[in-house]
Amino acid sequence: MREIMAFIRMNMVNPTKQALAKAGYPAFNFSKAVGRGKKPLATEAIEVIMGNAGSVPADSIGEHLSEGTRLVSKRAFTLIVDDEQVELAVKTIIKANQTGNPGDGRIFVMPVMEGYNIRTGECRERESDLTDRR
Amino acid sequence: MIMIRAIVRPEKSNVVLSELSDAEYSGVTKEEVYGRGRQKGIIVGEVHYDELPKELLIIFANDEDKDDIIKIILKNAKTGEGNFGDGRIFVSPVLEAYTISSGKAGL
Repeated sequence: MREIMAFIRMNMVNPTKQALAKAGYPAFNFSKAVGRGKKPLATEAIEVIMGNAGSVPADSIGEHLSEGTRLVSKRAFTLIVDDEQVELAVKTIIKANQTGNPGDGRIFVMPVMEGYNIRTGECRERESDLTDRR
Repeated sequence: MIMIRAIVRPEKSNVVLSELSDAEYSGVTKEEVYGRGRQKGIIVGEVHYDELPKELLIIFANDEDKDDIIKIILKNAKTGEGNFGDGRIFVSPVLEAYTISSGKAGL
């Protein structure tokens, strides 16, 4: 079993959900997260857009853009798949999220040792053995 | 490649993040989480707080940067000598990484 963790843009949750469902991965989790990448955020551009060059109002998005930590809102998407499904799932996520601009996100693949179905109490080493295919 | 998850006090996460960025480890994700530790939360009189707010920092790094990153977190998330609730750090293996904008593999 593998855990695929994708950090994607906030507005990409719905397209990603649909693309994954179509590709046969209906099960997922996501949570709100904030983060930063390798390149610093271009705050100048945001300041110009807000027509407020030099200062960002503290009551709006100011907190996440303040000095110290400049973090952008993201969604952390998690899905558990079998080993051989990783490639297709990763491809699907990339295709649904790719705009070609920095900030599209990252995908990480991690090993999972065991999975339990709480309803039945079963323990399995393969995701597909845990899921009811209806 | 490894994933470092650090659960730190909310008031300490800004210090940790800016120190990490100064050390050129700028990529990081932050989530708000709630939890309790081995002390079963905080018990004040008859009130039991067992969902204490923490912040979860997720950092993906190359194996050789592990010690450096952990040292930075340990140094900056600490509030004093032996205070409970300063948090935990967990390290787990990562098999693959992809950048969505370019579609390329690797960190």
